Amino acid sequence: MTAEVFSTAGLVERAAAAFTASVPDSPADDGFFGPGSVTWRLNGDLSAPVAGLRSLLVQALHPLAMAGVDQHSDWRADPVARLSSTAAYLVTITYGDKASARRAADRVRKIHERVRGTDPVTGRPYAAGDPDLLIWVHAGLVDSVLAAADAFGTPVNAPDRDAYVAEMTAAAELIGVPAGRAPSSAAELDAYLAAIQPELALSPAAAESTSYLLDLPGLDEDTADIWRQVGGAAAASLPAWALDLYGRKPVALTAQYREEVRQVLGVLDVLYMGEPGVLEARQRLELRMRDAQRADEA
Amino acid sequence: MSAGTGGRRQRHARLRLSRGLAAARLVARGGARYATSAPRLFAAAGEQREQLRNDLALRNAEDIAATLGTMKGVLMKLGQMASYVDDGLAPPVRRTLSTLQDSVPPMTAELAAQVVAEELGGPPDQVFDTWDPEPIAAASIGQVHRAITKDRRAVAVKVQYPGIAQTIAADLGNVGLLRSLLRVAAPSQDVNALIEELRERITEELDYLREAENQRTFAAYFDGHPTITVPKIVDELSTARVITSELATGARWAELLTWPQAEKDLAAETIYRFTFRSLYEMSAFNGDPHPGNYLFRPGGQVTFLDFGLVKYFTPEELKPLVHMVRYLCVDNDPAAFRKAMEDADFLTPGAPITTEQVIEHMALFYDTVRTPGTRTMTPGYASAVARRYFDFRNPLAAYARIPKSYVILQRINLGMFALLGDLAATADWRAIAEEIWPFVQAPPSTPMGEEEVAWRASRPVV
Repeated sequence: MTAEVFSTAGLVERAAAAFTASVPDSPADDGFFGPGSVTWRLNGDLSAPVAGLRSLLVQALHPLAMAGVDQHSDWRADPVARLSSTAAYLVTITYGDKASARRAADRVRKIHERVRGTDPVTGRPYAAGDPDLLIWVHAGLVDSVLAAADAFGTPVNAPDRDAYVAEMTAAAELIGVPAGRAPSSAAELDAYLAAIQPELALSPAAAESTSYLLDLPGLDEDTADIWRQVGGAAAASLPAWALDLYGRKPVALTAQYREEVRQVLGVLDVLYMGEPGVLEARQRLELRMRDAQRADEA
Repeated sequence: MSAGTGGRRQRHARLRLSRGLAAARLVARGGARYATSAPRLFAAAGEQREQLRNDLALRNAEDIAATLGTMKGVLMKLGQMASYVDDGLAPPVRRTLSTLQDSVPPMTAELAAQVVAEELGGPPDQVFDTWDPEPIAAASIGQVHRAITKDRRAVAVKVQYPGIAQTIAADLGNVGLLRSLLRVAAPSQDVNALIEELRERITEELDYLREAENQRTFAAYFDGHPTITVPKIVDELSTARVITSELATGARWAELLTWPQAEKDLAAETIYRFTFRSLYEMSAFNGDPHPGNYLFRPGGQVTFLDFGLVKYFTPEELKPLVHMVRYLCVDNDPAAFRKAMEDADFLTPGAPITTEQVIEHMALFYDTVRTPGTRTMTPGYASAVARRYFDFRNPLAAYARIPKSYVILQRINLGMFALLGDLAATADWRAIAEEIWPFVQAPPSTPMGEEEVAWRASRPVV
């Protein structure tokens, strides 16, 4: 019944259902970012699917983070469900009100409490709630959203880049990173990623998991094709050090390649918009963002 | 990537192709969800809906690119053209794409004014005596505003989305993706011919200068016609991105459907005469028989709007069509009919099928005009024609094709017959056709025909 579990409808439908369920109808407040934030704009960019996959590719390169997933998660039993719930989490902390965001973060923190063990590669103990690991996962996401937007979405200018990294520290704190420890500017993010290089490696678990992720078995032909394209774009937008670790050759991000990926993302977006409630949820967000912009201009 | 440049290019081409194919199939499948997922975008009623549209209006070129770029605009056009692309396109897919089109909000008043200023040399309230900033209709790649000119003429001003031409051009350039989309949407068609036709048509539609010229041609030809009205173009207020024409009034299609049958019959007769007079006398076919492109008044008065998709036939292209109808319906000469089909490249010469089979297959398309007598168009007939068109299990299928120049003519079958079927229109279509067929030119068969005689007599010799 794997074909049933991994059906196309499953992928788009469940991602869409997660999205619509996580965009609030009548929020108590504007949440931790607000409609005027760079975060609201960037986390809903056309390039989001690429950003999501790139995040996972980057995050897998820390052996301790990878070990936690490998030894405690049964994500392979239903990868679409796992991806959808991660997406739902991000949508909730981005667009939800503060109470919803805290509830979602608390649930994840509770799960993290049980995720402890010893990494078979380095022999080091790990705990998912370890701020160092949380910062790593956070930095992988923030860097990926920026890189994917630059490569295939709406490129981010320097002030917005700084603003995004700074705004997103709120997400890091929600999940348990002590205040002041997550990178809070683009330069700090880059410095952090440079400094952590010695700890990174492609562990066997990472190699195996990411190749599984990029070529999910059981997908029907068309979905598998789209999935590989999005994965290919995610890999193409990886930084040189990550490409090195994966043993991948850099791909030239030509204007034509960018355009083709954007066109596929656009077709995917049309599909996504076809799902019940997606457009309405987007409209709710768009209206709030426009209100904020008008207020800002006034 | 060890292959040489040629191999790499080939592989790249394959990659592009597969990229598009999967996307296309997913759209085709995803469409099924639309059917069941109400209520949709802008589902709110009346004023609330209008408010929402205004609140979400397109403010600048970036908004337009985000809404219509990355294949979205092309997909919308595909949906709009679906009726002539392939009846085999599943209704849910068509709904998906047309809903997508409905979801496009209008431009803000400021953005529309900016386009007018760029095109006409001044803001609308200076160029016009009166300008209504609230659009009255959405055009596929723009919107329509009411205005009054300095010389006090009521006009409709169609304003194109800024940057839309470049936005769509980039996506039209991805032939691999287009080919894949069409292969899924229209599996039974010559995809290369269709792409070429689609690209040409979309490119033409983006060209308002051409559209205005088409409308001038039709307006001039039908000037003074008893029931056909084509709004005149205001030349000095029309450019590549703005078309100003006389404001037309009348009932919309949905309202016509509530009128007495006699009125619907008259409206149908006018549409029929318009279609075939244009084809046989102007060698032109307005390829957009969309219900939104007509305005109706009692007595069979029809105003024809939107001339963005006009196909002109050369005499060589038109001749076989005339021959085919003549040999089948008038001369009753099956061999000559088959020969005419072969000459036009509809049928492979010497195909191993009998002429009886050819006639049997093709006769349905001529069913309403093969024999005299009153007939009622039905939705059933329209869909039978469509089904026959795409019946590729028929023995004829392997040897039949639709040459590129005739692709748009499918709209006669799939578009016009569908409209007349919805009206359940009754007439002696054969008798009306005989008035128009250049090789018959029969005397008038209806009161409208009588009036047409007077109109034709009064026309200057062209």
